[in-house]
Amino acid sequence: MSTAESAPSPSGPGGSGPGGSGTVAGLRSAPPHSRWHDWTELDAASWPNRVERKYTLVPTTCFNCEAACGLVAYIDQETDKVVRFEGNPEHPASRGRNCAKGPATINQVHDTERILYPLRRTGERGAGGWERISWDEALSDISSRIRAAIVEGRRDEIMYHVGRAGEDGYTERVLTAWGIDGHNSHTNVCSSSARVGYATWMGHDRPSSDFANAEVIFLISSHLEAGHYFNPHAQRIIEAQQRGATVICVDPRLSNTGAKADHWLPAWPGTEPVLLLCLAHLLLEADTWDRAFVHRWTNWETYLAKTRPDLPPTFESAERALRDAYAEYTPERASELCGVDADQLREIAAVIGKSPGRFASHTWRAAGAGNLGGWQTARCLFLLNVLTGSVGTVGGTTGAGWHKMKPKPPLQPPPVGHWNEMSWPREYPLSHHEMSILLPHFLREGRGKLDTYFTRVYNPVWTNPDGFSWLEALSDPERVGCHVALTPTWSETAWFADYVLPMGVGSERHDLASFETHAGQWLGFRQPVMRRYAELQGREITSETRTHEFNPGEVWEENEFWIDLSWKIDPDGSLGIRRWFESPSRPNQPISVDEYYESIFAAEVPGLADDAAAAGQTPLEFMRDRGAYAVRGDAYGHHERTVSPSALAGTVLGDDAVYRPHRGAVSPTAPLPPLGDGSVAVEVAGAARHGFPTPSRKLELYSTTLADWGWPEHATPGWIPSHVHWQRLDLAGNERILVPTFRIPTLIHTRSANAKWLAEISHRHPLWIHPSDAEALGIEVGGLVRVNTRIGHFVISAWRTEGIRPGVVAASHHMGRWRLDDAAAAGRSDSGRSGGGRSDLVAADLVESARVRGRGPADRPRSSEKAVSGS
Amino acid sequence: MRRGEAGALRASGVGIRWIALRTVGMCQTEAVTRLGFLLDSGACIGCHACTVACKSEHDVPLGVNRTWVNYVETGEFPATQRHFTVMRCNHCDDAPCISICPTGSLFRASNGVVDFDDSRCIGCKACMNACPYDALYISPETGTAHKCNFCQHRLEVGLEPSCVSVCPTRAITVVDHDDPADATAARIRTEKLPVRSPERRTLPKVHYAGTTPAALDPLARPVADDGLIWADWTGSAQWPTVPQTEAAPARTAYTVAHAEAWGAKVAGYMVTKGVAAGVMLWAAAASLVGWDDRAAVATGPAVAALVALAVTGVLLIADLKRPERFWYLFTKGRMGSWVTAGAWVIMADGVLVTLWGIGGLWAGSRWFAVLIAPLALCSVLTAAYTAFLLRQCRGRVMWHDRPLTLLAARLVGEAALGGGAVWGSLVALQANAVAFSWTPVAAAAVLVWLWRHDRAFLRAAQAAPLS
Repeated sequence: MSTAESAPSPSGPGGSGPGGSGTVAGLRSAPPHSRWHDWTELDAASWPNRVERKYTLVPTTCFNCEAACGLVAYIDQETDKVVRFEGNPEHPASRGRNCAKGPATINQVHDTERILYPLRRTGERGAGGWERISWDEALSDISSRIRAAIVEGRRDEIMYHVGRAGEDGYTERVLTAWGIDGHNSHTNVCSSSARVGYATWMGHDRPSSDFANAEVIFLISSHLEAGHYFNPHAQRIIEAQQRGATVICVDPRLSNTGAKADHWLPAWPGTEPVLLLCLAHLLLEADTWDRAFVHRWTNWETYLAKTRPDLPPTFESAERALRDAYAEYTPERASELCGVDADQLREIAAVIGKSPGRFASHTWRAAGAGNLGGWQTARCLFLLNVLTGSVGTVGGTTGAGWHKMKPKPPLQPPPVGHWNEMSWPREYPLSHHEMSILLPHFLREGRGKLDTYFTRVYNPVWTNPDGFSWLEALSDPERVGCHVALTPTWSETAWFADYVLPMGVGSERHDLASFETHAGQWLGFRQPVMRRYAELQGREITSETRTHEFNPGEVWEENEFWIDLSWKIDPDGSLGIRRWFESPSRPNQPISVDEYYESIFAAEVPGLADDAAAAGQTPLEFMRDRGAYAVRGDAYGHHERTVSPSALAGTVLGDDAVYRPHRGAVSPTAPLPPLGDGSVAVEVAGAARHGFPTPSRKLELYSTTLADWGWPEHATPGWIPSHVHWQRLDLAGNERILVPTFRIPTLIHTRSANAKWLAEISHRHPLWIHPSDAEALGIEVGGLVRVNTRIGHFVISAWRTEGIRPGVVAASHHMGRWRLDDAAAAGRSDSGRSGGGRSDLVAADLVESARVRGRGPADRPRSSEKAVSGS
Repeated sequence: MRRGEAGALRASGVGIRWIALRTVGMCQTEAVTRLGFLLDSGACIGCHACTVACKSEHDVPLGVNRTWVNYVETGEFPATQRHFTVMRCNHCDDAPCISICPTGSLFRASNGVVDFDDSRCIGCKACMNACPYDALYISPETGTAHKCNFCQHRLEVGLEPSCVSVCPTRAITVVDHDDPADATAARIRTEKLPVRSPERRTLPKVHYAGTTPAALDPLARPVADDGLIWADWTGSAQWPTVPQTEAAPARTAYTVAHAEAWGAKVAGYMVTKGVAAGVMLWAAAASLVGWDDRAAVATGPAVAALVALAVTGVLLIADLKRPERFWYLFTKGRMGSWVTAGAWVIMADGVLVTLWGIGGLWAGSRWFAVLIAPLALCSVLTAAYTAFLLRQCRGRVMWHDRPLTLLAARLVGEAALGGGAVWGSLVALQANAVAFSWTPVAAAAVLVWLWRHDRAFLRAAQAAPLS
């Protein structure tokens, strides 16, 4: 099989892509790549006078969501300024196109409220007093703290907490080099549950959905407006729908994705597994499932032995066990529990049954994040992929690990030999990613403390459900000794920092990114565009050259920050840290960013060095000129590939047909395999095949991982009623289910708030509520609603819409910022500013301000605050 | 297709005008391309990328838009649907904005695109009322009328418009209606894809696919009482409104605001030029019946009318967003526009009134006899020409679709009333009768009433949403 993905044409972007509109007079979507270094265009404002402007086009990567789409910066050769960003046609995932957040990058570059110089707190933490300092002061103080912690054996007191890294592996390598288990993430308020569901099936914790070639697209997500990976996914989902694929979207709220779907299924939150198991039941009963695939690629033998030891060990028994297990999920029962039409479920099952192998599905945060037992949503969804044989197929879904590329950095330090129980508490052995949501609670309990705490694109004070716990922890110097916020913009969390260090926005930093956006593999290279521009203008870039020389103010990039900081922690190399940050060619000198990426591009990206040579460039130059690289190769059927005898050397074939390394052959200090437990192949149909990175190297219908860790009752796809299951609520009274987790197409957490064009489009943050609920609760037009949850309350204006299930209310978690500084920050999208802050900012004020500032239309009464209990 | 369309054009009675448009002005050569857009709501995901790409390409200020995306909801849960429609200039083949533009700032380019030239625009805003699609706005930075110009500067170097380039789902397609090989143009023909407000007969070249009729009909989709999905909706006069009705098939969940083009100053101008016209009509009538009191028939009304005309000029110029360019009306004026024609009418009226006043002072009734016909005619024109201007506002149903005679009669009536009040009070004061000392107050009250009346008249028409 080969990729059916349409790739950008190598000769240039003109008219590429299906449905391309480049038919009129041969119009191109972007300037031809060969002319990017010197592109002449006409000035828009001067038209109809023909005033020529000369631009240099420099590719980089968008930072405004996870997708890492390609951008091209247009730099005016006369003014030496970036004037706008357009799509990068060389990018295999975004294919020259962007969502609203891509071109809005220019707002972030020119944002008048961005932080341009390092700041240090004056006065109490959170009081809003700041002074400008030098980078050297900041680095000296922070590095001496870290050095002391390492020397004194307090390694767990150093933590780097990242919301959206926007890069792959760089900072983790830094922390590993320091010998600390200090990485923390946002993932536990986000995708952890879905990852558990996927990982227990296939070892990969994320799906890679081949939407472009699917016949049925099943989304428990809003991938046409948000999510992983909005723009690349939306392109391919709509492409498929336009050629006849059926799009199904499960969401209690009419997202834009629900609006585009052929079937919008507004199931009660938390009942998604019921709906999915009903579809599984219908596929099994209609005999429209792929017996051969399930037989060949699932661990049905284990499933049968563990769930139905009473039956003889044959596949027929497994089939019977499956039918029996899901017999209760009839359309009628699903209809009752989920609140969707039984006949519609039958119709959907029939559509799914008609397209074996071409069922592409995706879930991420959605139902997984919002419900107890939500992780089973992903497990039940992928069951449909397994039953339809749509795993690793054209138009199916495969493991992200086979499409995402994570090239090895130079000089990889050995793994850290211990773990930090503040991030990985023993009570949660199956937590997928750090239990970051508990950090302030652990600090309160005294489980530990933090000496130096970095936050990076992470705003838990605002984003996490219990922001006040974070506020409390960050306000207490006994719990958090020094909080360093690495950020280009103010945030609620940065307000409670000791140091605010300005880092570049998407076009001002180096990073690598690669994601499973489609059936294909690619690597994207983010670069500081003004640095590259200077280089193209003839400025010599040496190993001494630093990115901040080209950024506004004293804005740094993190790559260089971590190199410098590491050198300052270990100036003489005695801690064994410095050597990981030394130049490979210049002894006792810091590694340069060029050296770092040159070594990766030259050796770790298959095909790149050859293509660069063919273009007469070094691999680094090649990437600086293109911004992204599509790795050639087969994107499908990885599990079916046979494993060469040489790779099997040193392994033992076990009773379960899995090839594992000899016991004792594995060194405890050897790097862990990126996926799986180190086994290399599974014997299937007389050949050693790659299989899946699971314990059985097959798809685990019965997850031995879940069983082995103590949850055998949840080892198979099933339904766990949610803590907010509707039948447990007083819907006749004033209880409703709150959906607080959805993104809108224009905003992305903290970092898009200062993009003026995005805020212009979207700046109101209402509670979606069905008119019948509004009436039942007595909410007046334009009135305010007080939403009480188990951990607090907020006040919000109401937006009545038929686009939400009665009984459910919803508010996006990408809007509704706090105003931390009334005096200075007048803009609605601002969250704070330096200088002139109030010194008495406490939690109560914030609650009060929410009440006072809850907005209704200006000319309407706003006294009608009504209470809703969200759950 | 061209032939077919031309036939349809002739049948609809607008063909000749259209052909004329295409053979004058900027379009010197025969068109070999006639560009438009296909906006495919079937593919559109409502992401607003086009909006932002356009903002970026043209550095469009906050609060105004060259293109935007409407969200329209239909149906009741769980059969609810949300439709996305991209809104922008329709590059009409019979573009009312070009017809009404007094200075030729708006023009048709050789590729069929309706383009604009900032250097000619005086900011009179007539185009905003002529356009049935809310496509134009006055840039708060330049004070001139802007809109989608198809990114002509990009087409010129072989690039798609920026909204087309950025669109993730290829929902925006450039169409050449004159290219027999253009597949999209063929699709538009065979599927008979709809345009917005076809009844305005502007022959839009922007077509829609995969949408619902309510999404294209602003009157079918009011904004709900509690506003928009993620933008403020204040319900002020700056925002066109649709009365909520139970029967409305759809609800607008997202749209953008549009400013009212003509407000208090234009209402004031209607009153003052009415006074100028009316005063002179009363004076002329008085002279006709043989009254030759020179102060009451000649100098008095002439001075009053000249003052009213001067105020008219001040108001008109003050209403321009580029007032310093008002003289473009005379140096770059297009007589096809009633803004230009009106300016000449007012100028001519001023000359005649001056002659009447000066001549009347010396020559009396003989002079009146010579001048009475031109003066009366010019005064009626001064009062009534606005009817032609309002009729030229094809975007405003309440003006354009009203019979010309009715509009004209209304304006002449208002002139007679306002002018009568002023002239009457002049005559009364002339008589120096204490009994009539209240007349200026009464006249002022009449003028204020007229101004409020005209203000409401203007607002009513402009409050109806076009997009």
